[in-house]
Amino acid sequence: MAEVREKGYHHWEGQLQEKGLVFWPITRTGIRLAFQRKRFKFLFALSFIPAISFAVGIYISERLEDFKFMAQGAERTLQVNPGFFKTYLSMDFIFFMILLLMALGGAGLIADDFRHKAIQLYFARPLSRLDYLLGKAGVVVFFVGLLTLVPALVLLLLKLLFSGSFRFFLDYPWLLLSIIFYSAFLMVFFTCYVLLASSVSKNRNYVIALIFAVYYLSEIARGIFYVIFRSPYSTLLSIPGNLRQVASAFFQVKPAQDVPWYLSFLVLSVFCLLSVLFLNRKLRGVEVIR
Amino acid sequence: MREEILRVFSFYFFLGKKSGRARTFFLLSSAAVLMAIIIRTYRLAGYWTEDGQVIFQNFLMVFFLQFLIVLLGLFYGSSLVGEELDNRTLPYLTSRPVRRAAIILGKYLAYLSLTTIMLVFAVILSYLVLNLDPEFRPGDLLTVLRYSAILWLGLAAYLAFFSFLGTWLKKPMLVGLAFGFGWESVIQYFPGTTQKLSVAHYLKSLLPQYASSSGKLGFLFIRLEPTRPVLAVIILAGIILVFLALACLIFSYREYLFED
Amino acid sequence: MTAVIEARNLSRWYGNVLGISEITLDIEPGITALLGPNGAGKSTFMKIITGQLKANIGQVRIFGQPVWNNRHIFRRLGFCPESDAFYEELNGLEFLTGLLSLYGYDRKECLIRAGRALELVELQDVSHRPIRSYSRGMRQRIKIAQTVAHDPEVLILDEPLSGLDPLGKRRIIRLIKEFRDAGKTVVVSSHVLPEVEALTSEIILIHNGKILARGDIHFIRELLDSHPHMIRIRSPQYRELARLLAAENYVLNISFEPEASAVVFETHHRDRFFNRLNELVLDPGLDLEEITSPDDNLQAVFDYLVER
Repeated sequence: MAEVREKGYHHWEGQLQEKGLVFWPITRTGIRLAFQRKRFKFLFALSFIPAISFAVGIYISERLEDFKFMAQGAERTLQVNPGFFKTYLSMDFIFFMILLLMALGGAGLIADDFRHKAIQLYFARPLSRLDYLLGKAGVVVFFVGLLTLVPALVLLLLKLLFSGSFRFFLDYPWLLLSIIFYSAFLMVFFTCYVLLASSVSKNRNYVIALIFAVYYLSEIARGIFYVIFRSPYSTLLSIPGNLRQVASAFFQVKPAQDVPWYLSFLVLSVFCLLSVLFLNRKLRGVEVIR
Repeated sequence: MREEILRVFSFYFFLGKKSGRARTFFLLSSAAVLMAIIIRTYRLAGYWTEDGQVIFQNFLMVFFLQFLIVLLGLFYGSSLVGEELDNRTLPYLTSRPVRRAAIILGKYLAYLSLTTIMLVFAVILSYLVLNLDPEFRPGDLLTVLRYSAILWLGLAAYLAFFSFLGTWLKKPMLVGLAFGFGWESVIQYFPGTTQKLSVAHYLKSLLPQYASSSGKLGFLFIRLEPTRPVLAVIILAGIILVFLALACLIFSYREYLFED
Repeated sequence: MTAVIEARNLSRWYGNVLGISEITLDIEPGITALLGPNGAGKSTFMKIITGQLKANIGQVRIFGQPVWNNRHIFRRLGFCPESDAFYEELNGLEFLTGLLSLYGYDRKECLIRAGRALELVELQDVSHRPIRSYSRGMRQRIKIAQTVAHDPEVLILDEPLSGLDPLGKRRIIRLIKEFRDAGKTVVVSSHVLPEVEALTSEIILIHNGKILARGDIHFIRELLDSHPHMIRIRSPQYRELARLLAAENYVLNISFEPEASAVVFETHHRDRFFNRLNELVLDPGLDLEEITSPDDNLQAVFDYLVER
């Protein structure tokens, strides 16, 4: 029997077979597109300034005698211990650069797909909602990881190399795990935060405004309530405040505020959980033509 | 020209009212009212004795002055041309019998009116929540009007500056963020004339300074070397006029291409 | 007849990319179609004559006046942009009255004119629905409504038929012809020849930013008929198919693609070729999997014309 087939769109109806990382092409494309954005490379390079300064700090700390004329009175700040790594991983500049890079390369991750009605194109392929989210999350994880985990591990390695012994490692055998787990926590949090903001609107500028507004509003609210109530619990309102509290627990450093770290962990975890639920709900609403 | 500006104004005021983002920003502005309610409740419970005026100026004004007016100015100002390019609706405007400068001025006024409503609503309501009691005098209303006028002036200045950035740059948002939340925050604490290179400096110079009973407040006035009020108003008006004129000039002579 | 639109030596570049080059033409009342493949320069030309873009070289005048930033001309001009873009928060009526208010009409006048335009494009029943809920055809029609609502003398319609179903196309073609009958000057762009054919006989062929030909559509048709068409057929019996069609005198050339089980025919007479193909499918019962025309697009036709 003769048959003339229609050339064009067909929904994929085959058997779904797990074959490697199906979400990887989405991540790879997201990373590539981020680097293609104007000014992104410059800002990306700029965000490594703290890492370089900390590396110099480690070097000087091992050569204090040579740098005595420069480092007078700075012995305490140049002490390389878990607090040193905590400072690096929870400093304002790093959080700011993560926000800035994600405003450039992450704001459009989901917003652009909704704007260009491209979501259906993803689900017309053998991709589940989870694959889609993992693919998008991979982009944020990649950049947050590059700004946190990678430099922190390099700093740890430099410390071992410069000191010429494993003493530091033996003194703090848990530090490696702390770096890995706290960096992973940052990756998860910022992924949820950025993807949530990106799914709220189709307008990239609106998403960028939202990413910064919520972050700073939380910090302003903390400041206001702290002065009024004089209660350290106002830290629970602040995104950076909570991140720093959790960091103190991971690195076994005295927290800046006298609030149990698990409360901050709980606040951020609940935020992540709600974000995932919202994202799932938002994507479930996408109509896929069959 | 005036009539053309009015035509653009009425169209965009209507469009702005209908947009979902107006509701979001209205809610965001209302966060001040929520904070005021919490503080007032705390005061009523007797845990806080500070005067309502002092609380308003030292806490809520931080929110309004260093956050809300910058954010509203940044978002709406950079949208002036940006949203028409992103949504590809610019030809609907530039093929109508209105001068290009009138488009900028009409949209500016429409967005200024919209954001003014959001701002003034939040300022007046949060002020009243903090200060309304049997000792409240009609004269206090003048104080809140003064606050509103200062913030409005700031909003108009930021909106004009970010409108200029929006007509000039293809992607004004990041530069705007760096200016609004980076430069404006940091430069105020620099000594001498450097702090005069920010809009916030002139706004702070116009604020009344109340003495705090605890002596620990006055965050807005740290390192402030105030400019005389009259001069501050003149400079703010100058900022509005200069950046609006520049925005009109750029938009009148520049052609805008869609991304692809 | 006096020219309404006069373009003189118009050239426009986007960086190193050429948009249009040295375009000189006069457009008179009636329908004039700009025909050319995607990227030929049609939209660039339309954006220049509607004052959206400036020409790097040359000038354009409408009713003898320059266009860029000339608000007096915009009152007499209606532009329907190519992009599917709207103020999505508005409904159809608000969209039209809002844009009409920019002409300085009072509220009542805006409503009357918007109502008339909606009636013209047959959207009065959905005028209170948000534009974001409109179908593609409705969106195209509301775009045309905003072009004509202020009753302009010159209409510039950039790809007004793209993405429409046949019924929608017929409706808009009828509408454009009504504008012509009302004595207006209409410039329409398209990259689909049959669409243009249904609209007008006056066409301008544009390719690589240059005007290739201008004149009556029949002249273009003749050129097209002398253009050999390629038809690729995929079939398990592709060799048998080739054998059966090889005897026909209108088949100029046959080539095989054994790896794809396909055969490619070149013919001067598509109609006769397809009639015979139908017979072959029905009679010996040949099984065809796919029929495509590798060069059945305007680009191929233009390439052919350029080479001649």
